[in-house]
Amino acid sequence: MDSGTVTLRPFRVSDVDDFILWAGDDQVTRNIRWKTITSKEEALTFIKEVCIPHPWRRSICIDDRSIGFVSVYRWSGNEICKADIAYGIAAKYWGQGITTKAVKMAVSEVFKDFPDLVRLQAFAAVENKASQRVLEKAGFTKEGLLRKYTFLKGQLKDLVIYSFLSTDITVAVDDKLL
Amino acid sequence: MEADGKQGQEGSPELSLRPLDLSDIDDFMVWATDDKVSRFCTWDTYTSKEAGIDYIKNIVIPHPWFKAICLDNKAIGAISVSANNGNDRCRGELGYALASKYWGKGIVTRAVKMVASTIFNEWPHLERLEALVDVENGGSQRVLEKVGFHREGVLRKFCILKGRCRDMVIYSLLSTDPQP
Repeated sequence: MDSGTVTLRPFRVSDVDDFILWAGDDQVTRNIRWKTITSKEEALTFIKEVCIPHPWRRSICIDDRSIGFVSVYRWSGNEICKADIAYGIAAKYWGQGITTKAVKMAVSEVFKDFPDLVRLQAFAAVENKASQRVLEKAGFTKEGLLRKYTFLKGQLKDLVIYSFLSTDITVAVDDKLL
Repeated sequence: MEADGKQGQEGSPELSLRPLDLSDIDDFMVWATDDKVSRFCTWDTYTSKEAGIDYIKNIVIPHPWFKAICLDNKAIGAISVSANNGNDRCRGELGYALASKYWGKGIVTRAVKMVASTIFNEWPHLERLEALVDVENGGSQRVLEKVGFHREGVLRKFCILKGRCRDMVIYSLLSTDPQP
């Protein structure tokens, strides 16, 4: 059965009701820094003040309805060659290849939007096997395990680090990953 | 044996770590003006004493953890641990530089062991001491491996050093790892 068209687009204030469905779910926010959204007001504020002005954040949509997000954060100074990518989707859409599809689309868009970007990196908690599979299927290279790297929601985490380089794009296109 | 790493053998000069201050400026300039030393560092070779003085005043003295590596109390290099805030306060980054005439004698290895044996006590919130080393800097990789750091992986095109995007090897030593 067709899951519907997966697209990326900027967030809209009108996404608020769909937004709460996934951003209000602890399962979805567990491994990201976002606090779980607890009201429509909070959701509206967050969409207007954070998601929309963000330098690079997209809503992951099915049939133009928001089911998740993907964000890219660029570093500066002597780290300007790299950016971090993060993502999350509603739990009911897990395990269907949707996040992988969305991440592949985001990678392609980001290297076009930032032609001077050299490295896109992603971190996945060591126990978050599903997210690691997304990155591997999307063509990221696993580089290593960073032990006790950071606190996430009060817990000290071991994180697996992945990267996708601008030079990996040609390889991925040849291998028909993108 | 060398509980404090001070003396390698009978009669050899005493190795110590102490704060670096303005009176060390001439010794500082010895390694700071050497391209061989700055090659894999984020800083560019110093060309004036004024710039060296500014660096000591504005960066070194207020730094959370910055020491001179000393032989018989004469500064021959520097070693530092940077602090992070908020969610990243569990990790600190190790950095070091040594005047090139003293390379190859195990001095930096001893200095790193000294830091590793005290930093987790001085900073109880620190869980992870990490270091990033250019893939081409074999000498520095060997220092960390001898001290017992874990090589976690190679981060491709991780940061810009001397105008080029470099692959960096990342190492860590945890407060729970066997102490060197």
